[in-house]
Amino acid sequence: MEWLTNLVGQEWARGIGQLIGINVGFVAVLMIVAYTVLAERRVLGLIQGRLGPNRVGPGGIFQPFADLLKFIFKEEVTPSAATRFVYFLAPIIAITCALMPIIVYPFGPTVWLPGIGEFSLVIARFDIALLYVLGITSVGVYGIALAGWSSNNKYSLMGGLRASAQMISYELSLGISLVGVVLVSGTLDLYSIVEQQHGLHWNIWDFSRVPQFIGFITYLISAIAETNRVPFDLPEAETELVAGFHTEYSALKFALFFMAEYVNMFTVSMLAATLFLGGWQGPFLDIFPWLGVVWFLLKVTFFLFLYIWLRGTLPRFRFDQLMNFGWKFLLPVSILNVILTATWLFLK
Amino acid sequence: MYTFLFILFGGMAIGCAVAMVAHRNPLYSAISLIGVFVSLACLYMMLQAPFIAAVQVIVYAGAIMVLVVFVIMLLNVEEEVRRPLSLRYLVPIGVGLAAVLTAEAAFILKLPGASRVDMLGPQPSDVGLTASIGTGLFTEYLLPFEVTSILILMALVGAITLARRTTVSRLATGADADFKPTSPAPPDAVIKSGDTEATGRAFAKLQIEQEEAALPASGGEEGTR
Repeated sequence: MEWLTNLVGQEWARGIGQLIGINVGFVAVLMIVAYTVLAERRVLGLIQGRLGPNRVGPGGIFQPFADLLKFIFKEEVTPSAATRFVYFLAPIIAITCALMPIIVYPFGPTVWLPGIGEFSLVIARFDIALLYVLGITSVGVYGIALAGWSSNNKYSLMGGLRASAQMISYELSLGISLVGVVLVSGTLDLYSIVEQQHGLHWNIWDFSRVPQFIGFITYLISAIAETNRVPFDLPEAETELVAGFHTEYSALKFALFFMAEYVNMFTVSMLAATLFLGGWQGPFLDIFPWLGVVWFLLKVTFFLFLYIWLRGTLPRFRFDQLMNFGWKFLLPVSILNVILTATWLFLK
Repeated sequence: MYTFLFILFGGMAIGCAVAMVAHRNPLYSAISLIGVFVSLACLYMMLQAPFIAAVQVIVYAGAIMVLVVFVIMLLNVEEEVRRPLSLRYLVPIGVGLAAVLTAEAAFILKLPGASRVDMLGPQPSDVGLTASIGTGLFTEYLLPFEVTSILILMALVGAITLARRTTVSRLATGADADFKPTSPAPPDAVIKSGDTEATGRAFAKLQIEQEEAALPASGGEEGTR
């Protein structure tokens, strides 16, 4: 880092360092996401008593690259009645809003590398990290809504409307179920929230503070709904809506939506691990700090497996059930969690 | 670095604002407005006010504009047809007001103290941090804060009251509990929430009765039902 600072000055060196960090983070996340897709297909195969893709490379490990090549070389079809500008803009919004929250998650503790020195495994650390994540998530609705509208297809429009209604409804319980953790931690900075859960004092069961078990359950359910996954995958219910909002998208534009969905899965899993399961906290960190990355990714993998497991076992909700569940059960329970946490903290 | 970012986001804000006014398609205008909000949030972030930036994105870009885009999409608003200006005398007034605004900005920049404030650099300050805003809201500005929240609560209750007053039939939503049709209905047509089949039957019955009332008493169609 020394020579870079000498070359371009402190400010630009910091900027360039962060750019490198962002690129490393994004590439790592995209690789993990690609292998999540493969894992999903293999695990679904296991659940359904078949093999799944196992031909490309040993055990199918090169399948994601084969899929990517296929996406790139497919013909792009644009419906002639589509609103072209919005039609092209929608997948860009979707993937951008999916990738942007990655920069605030702490992947590990302060580590040391030869040539660089000590640094924290978090790309950007600022005061409002949690609000930033929620804000970007709320902007992500536009990608889906605009995709459904601009395709000029009634199935797409229905899918887009369903997705927006669902995401707006479940965003509330998602945000409110996080308030408990914020009350306990007293900060919105994800790095400090993780630091406070040292050892095994994870927020989900830490009785020395206030255990956030209810908040964890409501967050998990709303996060599944927020990412439009089974059993809340109404926006792309193939029995009713062909493929929902991305019916008219092909080739790389479809791949962008597909990627955005899996990146979203990954980021909400990271948020769950960070806020409730202690992030990178775990045993033996003082001996070998890099182990924090392993603990963190193990926790995230647990949530990703849960997603796949649910997809293999649960049927889909009906739309009125979905809305009733979100507004009449999940939201009151998450508000109750806030009240309970605040009372507990006040009495202590 | 700061100058570069300021020019980038400031230019984005101005460009999106101009596009918002200039576009005839209302949906494009709405998207441009979202762009304005997001670039303003970036500017707030650079001015060491992260909380304001986050609230700007969550409230304006994430909540209010979703509503606007929804309405535009659902109503399928047509492209605006440009009509000749009917209020011509407004043009000189607009130009005059713009000149006054420019003069005001120039005057403020020429004030003796103005040049000392470096608007672009990061200033060590905790005014914009979440903790200081929260402390301020719950100590010094508690009364305005509570009054505002009661005002918002009143608006919310009012909106719900207005929304519930309409008794247009809505099938299969299950959201309107204990829904009753306004027109003379058979006594068993009270609809419970989520009771979709019953809703359908009750309305079919109601429609048939209204049709019968409208029909001249010919008696010929009685047998088909």
